[in-house]
Amino acid sequence: MQGDEKTMRGTLMLTRAEINRLRRNRRYLIFTVGTPVVLYLFFSKAGKTVYGIDFAAYYMVAMATFGAFAGALNGNAIRISEERKVGWIRQLRLTPLPASAYVIAKILTSMATTIPSIVIVMLIGRFEGGVHLPLWQWFVIAVVIWLGATIFAALAVAIGYRYPPDQAQPITLTLYLVFSVLGGIWYPFTGVLGNISKGTPTFEAINIATDVIGNKSVPAYLAIGLVAWLAIFAGLAVLSVRSMAEAV
Amino acid sequence: MSHSGTGPIVSFDDVSKHYGSLKAVDGLSLELRRGETVALLGPNGAGKSTSLDMLLALRKPTAGKIQMFGSDPYHAVKSGQVGAMLQSGGLMPEVTVRELVTLVAGLHPRPVPVNTTLRRAGIEDVADRRVDRLSGGQTQRVRFALAIAGECDLIVLDEPTTAMDVETRQRFWAQMKEEVAEGKTLLFATHYLEEADQAADRILVINRGRLLADGSPEDIKKRAGAKRMSFRLDGADEAFLLRLPGVVNLETRHDLVHIQTDDSDGTLYALLDAGYRPSEIEVGSLGLEQAFLAITAEDDQANGHEPVAAR
Repeated sequence: MQGDEKTMRGTLMLTRAEINRLRRNRRYLIFTVGTPVVLYLFFSKAGKTVYGIDFAAYYMVAMATFGAFAGALNGNAIRISEERKVGWIRQLRLTPLPASAYVIAKILTSMATTIPSIVIVMLIGRFEGGVHLPLWQWFVIAVVIWLGATIFAALAVAIGYRYPPDQAQPITLTLYLVFSVLGGIWYPFTGVLGNISKGTPTFEAINIATDVIGNKSVPAYLAIGLVAWLAIFAGLAVLSVRSMAEAV
Repeated sequence: MSHSGTGPIVSFDDVSKHYGSLKAVDGLSLELRRGETVALLGPNGAGKSTSLDMLLALRKPTAGKIQMFGSDPYHAVKSGQVGAMLQSGGLMPEVTVRELVTLVAGLHPRPVPVNTTLRRAGIEDVADRRVDRLSGGQTQRVRFALAIAGECDLIVLDEPTTAMDVETRQRFWAQMKEEVAEGKTLLFATHYLEEADQAADRILVINRGRLLADGSPEDIKKRAGAKRMSFRLDGADEAFLLRLPGVVNLETRHDLVHIQTDDSDGTLYALLDAGYRPSEIEVGSLGLEQAFLAITAEDDQANGHEPVAAR
């Protein structure tokens, strides 16, 4: 399987180049790391109990989710749309790299670049917010938030491939606000809004993490919900990429 | 390589690409042989870019079959045998020229050393600049660098010298001749007719998605009605002049008549035999540009279309 090996090596080279680009991008860093950290330092001392755990712990989970999902969605959707517009995706298709490598590299890049925002917010939570958890819980909530954010990279592909930048921008912003507000990132909802909230992937990721922290059993619907959203976003991404096969 | 035989390295077999009722490419058949430098010449909208897109597996033909290096276009491109530069191709933003060339070379099975590519494309001086901060001409040269970043057997260029100044263009073709001298095949689309004349040893003229002429620059000039004739003549009607033997095209302004003819002697004798006595008779050869316009205008008239102006 020499061909597969070559393909994998090429995809990783592209991923490394993408990561280097993002590392240099100050706006991306401010957005995915700076904003959640600053918000956490401002608001984590509310001293209440949310989802049955300390506010400081809930808010740490919320801010880590916020930085990671915002990075996966906003970072990718508009970039992909712009790279399609300038013709970079076409150019890449003239290289020996297979057509799918671009999307795979984008998702790998997203997975790599959301790690710092999750880790940094958790470090701040531990040392500034006074959140104390067993080691395995730190690990589990980090992975849940990380995978929960990654499904938004699939949504970003779906948007970036289908819409030109001037449309991708407002669509992304709208979805970003909907999923952060309804997902309970800014503040947990109760009542009717609380029930709607339960259907969002952001809520589901946050609540799996807060249930783990609160030593509660995680309801199955949270995990099923996340998998369903992944299927929806991935399906939309495949449709977008296919419909643009001749128009990249 | 294994394709050292004399068979074609690229073949289009009755290839069409339709967008609804628009026939962008309409039954195109052609073959390229190893080592040729071929110009694809045609007015805007003739189907040049669509043909190259299909050759490079960016678009699928509606009908017909394209083969390249004995396989389908996608696998030929993925095997690294083709280097290509398209008008619509763009660059990855936010990286330096050197980083980008290094990346694309690294994706190739037979990478060319990055410094060699930078020198060949004439972009050593901007190697550490960010690609999104280059001028139009510099960007064009970076795109060319990406086309030659790997060793390949066929180079495909879509209007390669757009946005280049005269000096850069000459340097570009000098560089290209070196590349081709190594036995590579070159296919380029252009609307610069002198460029096709000077750089290519074979010209394919296409219009409305169909191949109108295929030959050396000399053949093309001959094919169009090789001679241009002008004279002054009072009171001759156009219908009569158009019926003269050999006449391909006619233009009159007051008493001044311009004729394109593939038989200048026959045209002139018939005019004199009819009793006319034109003055200031001049007969000369057509340039490639006029030949090209004549061929496409003939095609447009034959199909009842408005002539398409060549850029």
